Amino acid sequence: MSRTLNVVRMQLVNRQTYVWVPLMVLAGALVITIAIWAALSSGGLEGAKYGGGAQAPLWYFAIVGVQALTRTFPFSQAMSVTRREFHLGTILTAALTSFLLAAIFVVGGVIERATDGWGVNGYFFALDWIWADGPLVAGFFYFAMAMLFFVAGYTGAAILKRYGNIVLTATLIVLALLLIGGMWLLGRLDAWGTFFGWFATAGPGMLALLMAAVAAVLAVAMFPVLRRTVP
Amino acid sequence: MTAVIEVSGLTKRYGDTLALDDVSFSIEKDTIYGLLGRNGAGKTTIMSILTAQNFATSGSVRVFGEEPYENARVLSRLCFVRESQKYPEDASPLHAFRTARLFFPNWDQELADRLVDEFQLPLKRPIKKLSRGQLSAVGVIIGLAARAEITFFDEPYLGLDAVARQIFYDRLLEDYAEHPRTVILSSHLIDEVSNLIEKVLVVDRGRIIMAEDTDAVRDRAANIVGDTAAVDAFVAGRTVIHRESLGRVSSVTVMGALTDEDRRELSAHGLDVTPVSLQQLIVRATQNATGSTAASEEGSLR
Repeated sequence: MSRTLNVVRMQLVNRQTYVWVPLMVLAGALVITIAIWAALSSGGLEGAKYGGGAQAPLWYFAIVGVQALTRTFPFSQAMSVTRREFHLGTILTAALTSFLLAAIFVVGGVIERATDGWGVNGYFFALDWIWADGPLVAGFFYFAMAMLFFVAGYTGAAILKRYGNIVLTATLIVLALLLIGGMWLLGRLDAWGTFFGWFATAGPGMLALLMAAVAAVLAVAMFPVLRRTVP
Repeated sequence: MTAVIEVSGLTKRYGDTLALDDVSFSIEKDTIYGLLGRNGAGKTTIMSILTAQNFATSGSVRVFGEEPYENARVLSRLCFVRESQKYPEDASPLHAFRTARLFFPNWDQELADRLVDEFQLPLKRPIKKLSRGQLSAVGVIIGLAARAEITFFDEPYLGLDAVARQIFYDRLLEDYAEHPRTVILSSHLIDEVSNLIEKVLVVDRGRIIMAEDTDAVRDRAANIVGDTAAVDAFVAGRTVIHRESLGRVSSVTVMGALTDEDRRELSAHGLDVTPVSLQQLIVRATQNATGSTAASEEGSLR
């Protein structure tokens, strides 16, 4: 167990990667967005404004997931860490940092709502639909999303390292085809209304659960791949 | 002597390529081994299978009597930093050493600090910006300071200058004297490590072609130095593997251990005997093995 916790410390030994850069990405996106809103407001645009900049650090999580596998995994092997210890420690690190990110989003959202959108009626964290069931559900939503981004990057990199470029590309193509097939089926059954209706009634909590479930399934399913990966 | 590593029938196949071909050997406790061989002979493959970083196609590996794969009890007593080791993105040597300190129970920070100083390693520069020699130094420092019971050094001197290499050899011997352990050093600078290694394992084309005490290998041949005519008379009928002449003086390397009678004859003719370079012997052994393999392959083709 202590060696698994040491993997967390290994992942965090360079805090730049897991903490400071994502925070910078987030703060940068926020400042730029508020500046744009302020400009719009001074131009006389009164309505509520929404920004998608909050997703920036989420993409960064996917990149960190890739690097965890391509860079830190080979290093962990030189540190005589087993693949199981590495996997558990890495997922634990991702959970820890996703939790921190979610907490920041919730605090940001609360500030946003208290200040009427930073005084310029702009919403960066507190997007209405995500916050429909309150800050806790919104926090869980952000947590699940960050985890999903991380695990997706981590799993993709494992497939690349274990099976090579062709298999990874094939996997991505199959995924895209499945997605398109699903969309085609929805259109064919004339079910788009029902589909979006379900999301509207299910709410952010349900979607967050769904994302968390996908992340969990990926994290478990990729372990056998990692077990046979050579650094 | 107790064996800390036992390998039997180890085979590794990469697609059509046979990287290791039914290899069997054992490694004794508290001994320095030289794992020698040409590029692509299978040295790194052997070390990465022993440390469970890579997988055998067939055969068995026992380290401290156990299977090393996913075995933290065994792995925590091993240290293997690759020649082409990858480090975490944006990591500096300082980060690497801090991490090594977490995982190696015998880590000696004082030794690490001293080595950093001696190798003049910039601690805070990102590892990806280090020179080849500085990169090797990071691996060497981890390997020495980890003080693992079995330490693997994979071509540790790449890019290191002569002074740095000497520091590595000196510190390795010093620390080994105080804290005996098993060291497996892969190298193709054979003569440079020949004074360091107690036992020789020579790998060629995925096979172990020599596993002996270094001294025994050295005794397999001798250099005869002296007046050309006298040298020629002495070596007549013996297997000569190397010959150098300067004026009327010749130095000829002959195979076979010298008997007492040989030595009397040599001193009677005023000839000197000098030790043979390990490199020459191993190059010759490798060429022989290669030649016979090539011959048998040709035979099977016909």
